[in-house]
Amino acid sequence: MPEDQQAERVRELVGAMSPLGARTVTSSDRVVDDLGYDSVAILELALALEVEFDLQAIAEDQAVDLLTVGDIEQLVGQLARKPA
Amino acid sequence: MTITTGPVSGEILDILDDPAPSRPAAGNTPDRSTLPGALALYARWEKGQWSVGDVRVERDRETWAALRPFAERELGDALTELEVGEVCVTRTLSALVDHAPTDDDRIYLCTQLADEGRHVRFFQEYLTTAAGIELDSALDEASAYGQLFEPQLVAATSRVRESGGDRGAWYEALVGYHLITEGVLAAAALRTTRVLAQRYGLHALHEGLGNVARDESRHLTYGLMAARRGVDDGEHRELIARCYLSGAELAARVMVNPHKKAITPVMTAALHARARQLTAQWQVGLDRAVRQLRLIGLPGLRDDVERSWSAAQRRALAEYRERWDTEHPVVLAA
Repeated sequence: MPEDQQAERVRELVGAMSPLGARTVTSSDRVVDDLGYDSVAILELALALEVEFDLQAIAEDQAVDLLTVGDIEQLVGQLARKPA
Repeated sequence: MTITTGPVSGEILDILDDPAPSRPAAGNTPDRSTLPGALALYARWEKGQWSVGDVRVERDRETWAALRPFAERELGDALTELEVGEVCVTRTLSALVDHAPTDDDRIYLCTQLADEGRHVRFFQEYLTTAAGIELDSALDEASAYGQLFEPQLVAATSRVRESGGDRGAWYEALVGYHLITEGVLAAAALRTTRVLAQRYGLHALHEGLGNVARDESRHLTYGLMAARRGVDDGEHRELIARCYLSGAELAARVMVNPHKKAITPVMTAALHARARQLTAQWQVGLDRAVRQLRLIGLPGLRDDVERSWSAAQRRALAEYRERWDTEHPVVLAA
């Protein structure tokens, strides 16, 4: 999947699963403060993203803080399995 | 951020949520009179009736069907554990009834047996009607309680029968049944599951679990009162302390559940959230195991319980790594 489509799909999922109700989100929206994500919602989102993009685990030192939707887009870009 | 595991909406679900009874009346000795007796608990039972039919579990069917995979698995697993536990106690409690120390104890325990039957009916109705989960032997096989704790409880209640009601065997079963199964494992599971039911708008589940929790509160209070009696008589103090320690160890293992592969998110933030969530649940169990000690007159056992719990938890996490060839999410996130 091209990167821009992938990022768009991430935004769709993050918006659809917002605990505040489904909404359109932008890359600069803050996951906790603007979209109401708590620990359970982050878990739900992470597992949905794993299924959607077949994500691989990364080393701890590659981890980034998930403050904004853009951070999630970037992380999914790193973790998504690339076709062989 | 963690899942809230305290009482829902600030309500007092059982005697351990109420700070008053566990407050020492003088010095370090709790006041035994704060624990109601079997007669008073019977009276509470008469006033606290509820019906599985009135909960109308079918009203949750649509909401359950719309749950996301994580919520569905968490709730499904928790309800399965509770159902397996309740079925186990309906099969074993009669040994305690038959050999109860007094008629008042026996009459109270009969009410508890009726409660346990009602709980089984509630969980089975909910699982099949609202959640669409088939009841079969696979549930038993997947249950940590069924695999790890039930054999111990069956053996303990069998010893009560085989000994013709030996009082030591009776107290041993009481500790495993009332204090560990109900006071630690079921109480912790009920809290966490009720919080999730409220979060996901499963109103029938939330209502039904509230009813179950109130019943369990009576059961636990009876267990605390009866164990306290055994501790105070001097003859059974050491036995109760020993059973409590081994029960707490087993409870720690059940809560880690090395037999089942845990949800382990690959995204670090989610992995940490999962680890915090599990650790908080385990902490509820340990807190309860420790807080009960004062009420049964064994406050000095606190350090031993904490040490035994931690050691059992470490062994269970090592067993998990051995079985699944990967670390448990709590270890990965540490």
